[in-house]
Amino acid sequence: MSSRDPEDRLMMPDEPFEELKRVLDTRVRSEAPTPDCLQDDVIAAFAEGSLAPDLRATVLPHIATCVRCRGAVASVARALADPAVARELVVSPTDRRWYRIAVPLAAAAVLLLLLASPGADRSPGHRGPPPPPSSTTPVPRSPLGLVAAVRDLRWSPVAGADRYRVTVFDATGGVVYAAEAPDTVIALPDSVTLVPGTAYLWKVDARTGFDRWATSELTEFRVAEPRRR
Amino acid sequence: MDDWVAELQRDRFDAAWDLFLDRYRRLIFAAIRHYAQDYDDVMDVFARACEALRADDLRRLRSWVEQPEHRARFSTWLVTVVRHLTVDWFRHRDGRRRLSVVAEGLPPLRRRIFELVFLDRRSHIEAYELIHAGEAPTLTFREFLSELRATYHAVSTGRRGQVLRDLAPASEAVEDLPADPAGPSATGVAEQSRLLERALAMLTPDDRLIVELYVLEELPAETVAKVLGLANAKAVYNRSYRALSLVREQLERAGVRREDL
Repeated sequence: MSSRDPEDRLMMPDEPFEELKRVLDTRVRSEAPTPDCLQDDVIAAFAEGSLAPDLRATVLPHIATCVRCRGAVASVARALADPAVARELVVSPTDRRWYRIAVPLAAAAVLLLLLASPGADRSPGHRGPPPPPSSTTPVPRSPLGLVAAVRDLRWSPVAGADRYRVTVFDATGGVVYAAEAPDTVIALPDSVTLVPGTAYLWKVDARTGFDRWATSELTEFRVAEPRRR
Repeated sequence: MDDWVAELQRDRFDAAWDLFLDRYRRLIFAAIRHYAQDYDDVMDVFARACEALRADDLRRLRSWVEQPEHRARFSTWLVTVVRHLTVDWFRHRDGRRRLSVVAEGLPPLRRRIFELVFLDRRSHIEAYELIHAGEAPTLTFREFLSELRATYHAVSTGRRGQVLRDLAPASEAVEDLPADPAGPSATGVAEQSRLLERALAMLTPDDRLIVELYVLEELPAETVAKVLGLANAKAVYNRSYRALSLVREQLERAGVRREDL
């Protein structure tokens, strides 16, 4: 009998799968490459989760059964999750060079300000409107929460972004819709049917450089169910 | 456009290489260090990676740049290439001496399993046969599996072990195993593996991959969700548990009970 934990995670405490895992672990396997084995760019895209849904559907049957490719994907995904690697993926040397210049400059500017206004009021408190939100990551604008209908998806622009990638997930985590756009709005095609009352999640990735993407938070929405008369 | 790409497109290969290396040296090192920690190993693999990336006027880099559309980020592709080069380097090197250092701290049985599986690249069944026929005639297959799992765990723990995980052996398919590999217990497990493969084959490819990556490869649920384009880790938990329930049902229909496993 299954149950759910406070985080709505399906739990089966009386159904440990260790024994299945033990047998699965000891399957003998073949690692001989086949003509269907994945190219490096597909392995990389799979590992970073950026493979286009149509291509992912095409390669899934192979990777589900090919130890060689699955091992490569898992290995690269592990490497990407290694904090030392992840740090280098996020901070490019270009950024590092900028930091080397900008940080001392910023420190000097703060020092100058402090020296120039020794009597200035330094008490904390609100002074005018809050700063504008960071434009380094896209922010989903609509749909958010309960909406009457979804005809398009809109998000905030990101400075320097030349392309955006939108992904809509259903409640099971499956991809309902994925597309790329040069602008901050994309029409939802009629072929995508959203079930009223069902929760969906969506996110936007903004390409901000040759090798840089900035990802929004996952945002939930649901389409209102039609009123009963 | 990045400066190294611009230089590459002008066929200024030396300049492109210098700029590329300036930009990605730390990432290459980080990727290599993920798989190997020994300083000499890291430096040797780095040299090999540079040699491979620079060969034929930066052929690998040019092939990536010239692709009309890129499926992955360049840096992820680079980590993938470095991973392959690192694993190949360890495979082709006279590695027995250095890899044996890893086994020194293991109990005798696990050290023997390590030698057979990781160094001699024997299949699990073969390793059992050799140990059973040699130094441990009373070792049951079930006990061997327990020791095998502990050996995998020991060599995969820590950064040094990452490359060892990738060096796990290539073995023959279940169907190619001898009919009676090592007594009734091993045959039983081989039969269970065959049934399990059939049960797994009944899952959808994405559910099967969730099981393989989350349960077997032991990737964190968040990573599996990212790889498979699922919304979050919860989706991975739920789908893997449901998929494994289906697998168990299939096994029970085939007459395999939990206590038989």
